[in-house]
Amino acid sequence: MTDAPLTIGLPSKGRLKEQADAWLADCGFTISAEGGERGYRAKLSNLPNVQVQLISAGDIATALDAGDIHLGVTGEDLLRERGEGLDSRVMLMRALCFGRADLIVAAPQSWIDVETMADVEEVAAAYVVRTGRRLRVATKYLVQTRTFFARAGIADYRIVESSGATEGAPAAGAAELVVDITTTGATLRANGLKVLADGLILKSQAQLAASLIAPWTPSQLASVRRLMGAVEARARALKLSMLTWPADQTARAQAATEAFLARGATRRADGLLAQAGDLLDVAGALAAAGVGPVSVAHPEFAFEPTSAAVEDLTGRLGL
Amino acid sequence: MIIEPTAPADVLAAIRAPFAAAGALAIDAPLIQPLGVLLDLAGEAMRARLFVVQGEGGEEVCLRPDFTIPIARAHLDEGGGAGRYTYDGKAFRVAPRGSGRAEEFLQIGIEIYGGPGAPADDAEVAALAWRSSAAGGRDDLSLLMGDVSLFSAFIDALGLADSLAARLKRAFSHPRALHAELDRAQAPAPEPRQGDRLSALLAGLPEAEACAVLEDLWAIAGIQPVGGRKPAEIVHRLSERAIAAKAPRLSEAEAGLVQRYLTIAEPPRVALDQIAELAKEGGLKLNGALSAWSDRLDALVSLGAPVDRMMLATGFGRVFSYYDGFLFEVRSNALGEEAPVAAGGRYDNLAAALGGTAGERAVGCMVRPIRAWAGAERVA
Repeated sequence: MTDAPLTIGLPSKGRLKEQADAWLADCGFTISAEGGERGYRAKLSNLPNVQVQLISAGDIATALDAGDIHLGVTGEDLLRERGEGLDSRVMLMRALCFGRADLIVAAPQSWIDVETMADVEEVAAAYVVRTGRRLRVATKYLVQTRTFFARAGIADYRIVESSGATEGAPAAGAAELVVDITTTGATLRANGLKVLADGLILKSQAQLAASLIAPWTPSQLASVRRLMGAVEARARALKLSMLTWPADQTARAQAATEAFLARGATRRADGLLAQAGDLLDVAGALAAAGVGPVSVAHPEFAFEPTSAAVEDLTGRLGL
Repeated sequence: MIIEPTAPADVLAAIRAPFAAAGALAIDAPLIQPLGVLLDLAGEAMRARLFVVQGEGGEEVCLRPDFTIPIARAHLDEGGGAGRYTYDGKAFRVAPRGSGRAEEFLQIGIEIYGGPGAPADDAEVAALAWRSSAAGGRDDLSLLMGDVSLFSAFIDALGLADSLAARLKRAFSHPRALHAELDRAQAPAPEPRQGDRLSALLAGLPEAEACAVLEDLWAIAGIQPVGGRKPAEIVHRLSERAIAAKAPRLSEAEAGLVQRYLTIAEPPRVALDQIAELAKEGGLKLNGALSAWSDRLDALVSLGAPVDRMMLATGFGRVFSYYDGFLFEVRSNALGEEAPVAAGGRYDNLAAALGGTAGERAVGCMVRPIRAWAGAERVA
């Protein structure tokens, strides 16, 4: 079984696919589809014995939760929708800073008496008394809606399952409230809706996640270590600048940059690896000490011997 | 899907006997039930526990999670009125993942409509549940009781503003919301909200006038009214809000009384004394409700429920439920509070919510035979 490949689910379409592919390529892993452009299986360069499955973001969340794949890139909103106890089945390895969207509760703009969930609670209770029916909430996020409404103490509502164009449900008379993903709120406003002041359910973004239920072998875990090593090294490198000075000025330069060691900079031969944000301060300190010329380069990767996320995963898998 | 083991025939017969002798009509109810009706009555939180099924092109239905609503529907189909029904069959609930709990299980129970009235038939049902549970041979059972209407009576006796009293009553089965409400008494006065001035203004106008102003406002702001609330409803709530903003909030003393009320969990007579003392201290009048409890306890004891195994907990109220008065659970120490052996209570408002007559008296209970059976752990 040590030869079984590590399976990774990657988005097969849309903006999320473009961003995930670009992120992987930036980390040094390019995707090549098997069986031509339209294939659903792919390989990653630099990662031997990995099987990529190109499937929808929703299916990736399902497959991680069921243990059908080892790793996946998908939205946190979709993962959280997998129900209670998710954290015992899926581990979020890394937030990827793309695919950002907020899961929110929206109410009609015309309800000028409703700004908060507490208002919704009162209106919902009055609505059921007046009409004998419950306020309807259109959403495809059933699990998170239920949890959020329970936390707000709202019992008098009904979920209307929606598969698309959820924002249009109130205008169409199919629901009174909406729980949906939004990025700018423009679509909500166009549909006569507003986000409640305390109606933010989740600030979602794409996540690299690992299934804790899938059967794992040590060699599959080693592939994850290789992947995460590069991913983390790349992210780290983007925040670093490598400064180099003439060798004969090293004593002066080291004295001038002493203060930056406490801020995360590390010494290099005839140079300093500094936080990118500190670059101009370091340059200024060197200039003041008469050091020059100082050249600056940006490292492509900055590897560390261990990854906290991978150690955590190893521990949770008991491998 | 986890199916529970079966108790031996003689044990089952002993657990069934009290229900068989209760003079009730043995009936069954359809295994599949309309999903919408169940969610309307039990609340959306119930959905996570329901097995939802759907035939091609058909309406969404669910497997019955218990018998109360199915039998209420059958009872109303027969025209309502008085009725005593007993049932004995499988019910289905989705268990939390990894809990190992059975999802298809046997329930035996009774539902009594239009009975003689609160203390008497409350006691009859609870005593039935007790005798049936005890017939399974366990020696670690206790009877935990609560009363949703006693909390309402306590709140009413405080004489609070209507909207505040209504919010507190609704929050009873949601501990987090209730605590938030009580904590608010200690918090500084709320900041004026957007629209407060508008609320005050509209509240001063006749309703028709206020609605016209609201509609003008929508037009000026370019707001397309959506959602099923009419201008009159929004205006009405704005004026309620204006009244509530002026009304005194829950004082620290009142919040303290409610908090202390909710922590009472004692043998019933002790609990009643404590409630009476608390009421006296706060100058609250709930005599009627307390004497009804005294009668209920007398009746329970006369029907064979052991007074030394009873607890009255004022904060006890199940979250997913239609119970609106007395309610109880028979619990086993070994099984814990997540797995009651029996449960039941009063649900006078359920029939009306299903389209029946308002105020029809109704009370019922169910027993899980496998939990009552003392030998179940050895099998599992």
